[in-house]
Amino acid sequence: MNAELFENLRLELRRGCLVLAVLAELRNEHYGYALRKALADRGMAIDENTLYPLLRRLESQGLLASQWREEDKRNKRFYRLSSDGEIILKQLLDEWNTINSAVSRIIEGEPIAEEQLSI
Amino acid sequence: MELVDRYLYAVRNGLPKGQQDDIIAELGEDLRSEIEDLESGLGRPVNEVEVVEILKQRGHPAKVAGRYLPQQYLIGPALFPIYLLVVKIVTAVLVPVFALIVGPIAVATAPQPSHAVVQSLWDLAMAVVFSVGVITVVFAILERYPVDPKPFEKWDPRKLPRAPKSTPESRSTPRATAIAELAASLIFSTLYVSWFRTTFDVGGLHITLTPIWRSMYWPFLAVILVGGVKGYLSLIWPERIRLRFGFRVAINAVTVILACVLLNAGTWVNLAAPGFPAADIAEAARWTNFGFKIFLGVTAVMAIGDAIPEGMRIFRKKTSWNYSIAT
Repeated sequence: MNAELFENLRLELRRGCLVLAVLAELRNEHYGYALRKALADRGMAIDENTLYPLLRRLESQGLLASQWREEDKRNKRFYRLSSDGEIILKQLLDEWNTINSAVSRIIEGEPIAEEQLSI
Repeated sequence: MELVDRYLYAVRNGLPKGQQDDIIAELGEDLRSEIEDLESGLGRPVNEVEVVEILKQRGHPAKVAGRYLPQQYLIGPALFPIYLLVVKIVTAVLVPVFALIVGPIAVATAPQPSHAVVQSLWDLAMAVVFSVGVITVVFAILERYPVDPKPFEKWDPRKLPRAPKSTPESRSTPRATAIAELAASLIFSTLYVSWFRTTFDVGGLHITLTPIWRSMYWPFLAVILVGGVKGYLSLIWPERIRLRFGFRVAINAVTVILACVLLNAGTWVNLAAPGFPAADIAEAARWTNFGFKIFLGVTAVMAIGDAIPEGMRIFRKKTSWNYSIAT
């Protein structure tokens, strides 16, 4: 029961982070498998059944652009962040930093600084 | 790579039309890249077992394809509460219409009133199923072609229903219980009117119920149907548990009365078996009637035992769940 509950909560927590990680990694162009490896190398492993549907969703939302191109005599689909994606990524990173700081303060029991309260 | 091709073909069959080639090309490329990576690590070509392992790790083709399908539901979260409300209203209207108009007319004009009662119940059940079906189709269409795309944005806290005086969770009848009571009433009443008879032949034994059972026919049917009414009321007013307790006490009281009337009859079955000694048959009848006596006595005691705590619960003080908002 606890293991299942933890797994559900972990997936919930990870879901939003994956979008952020994929968008951030695609500031540089990657094809699917290379993107998977790059994310895994940085500690954010993602299985193909999650990554490819996510890439399609982000592309249909206009945050990514893709292109089929030949590399090493094989056709590969390359993804990169679109201009809309860059704006959204910046907003998401700001939000991520705010949440991260707030959660850190909550965990450590620190009060919020007065100048931050006035924002 | 035949296994990979077979796998990709199986995935393709479950993908949305129009995107199949594109997705399969990308998945195929990903698979081949992974296999190449593994081969360069091993320093040799992969064997069939290793390919099978990779494919199994990716998951069943139907599961993989399912990840590319849009999330589907017939009625979404925005419309579902309204859908549920409409279903409740229609059901709450249908039942009184059948109970007070359609049923009585059918019973009054039918040659066999008890059959008409059960037939009316089935007609009601079918009417409910048909109505819920039509409502579901209408809401499914509204879900696809919404008239108002933002129903959650147009609301007023002042128009929300008042909170009940008692805690709904702790003082309400579970929906499953209410539905089970309704279904049991429908099934038992059908079996009762279909199979009720006063003579039975078991092997060479001829069993005849005494006339008291014939006179109990309608009271028994009434008790079964009242059980259904209790289930229905619990379904539409789950928080009105005092009403439910009242029904339960009434049903138990009637059960006690019926058991006493039956007990007063003294004899409940007569047995006959041509070719068997009359003394043996009389002894068997005596023991069978004794069994009935015990059964009826136990039934009466159990009904009393059930009615007393239920009756006490009617007068038990309500628990409040009102709370104040700290200011």
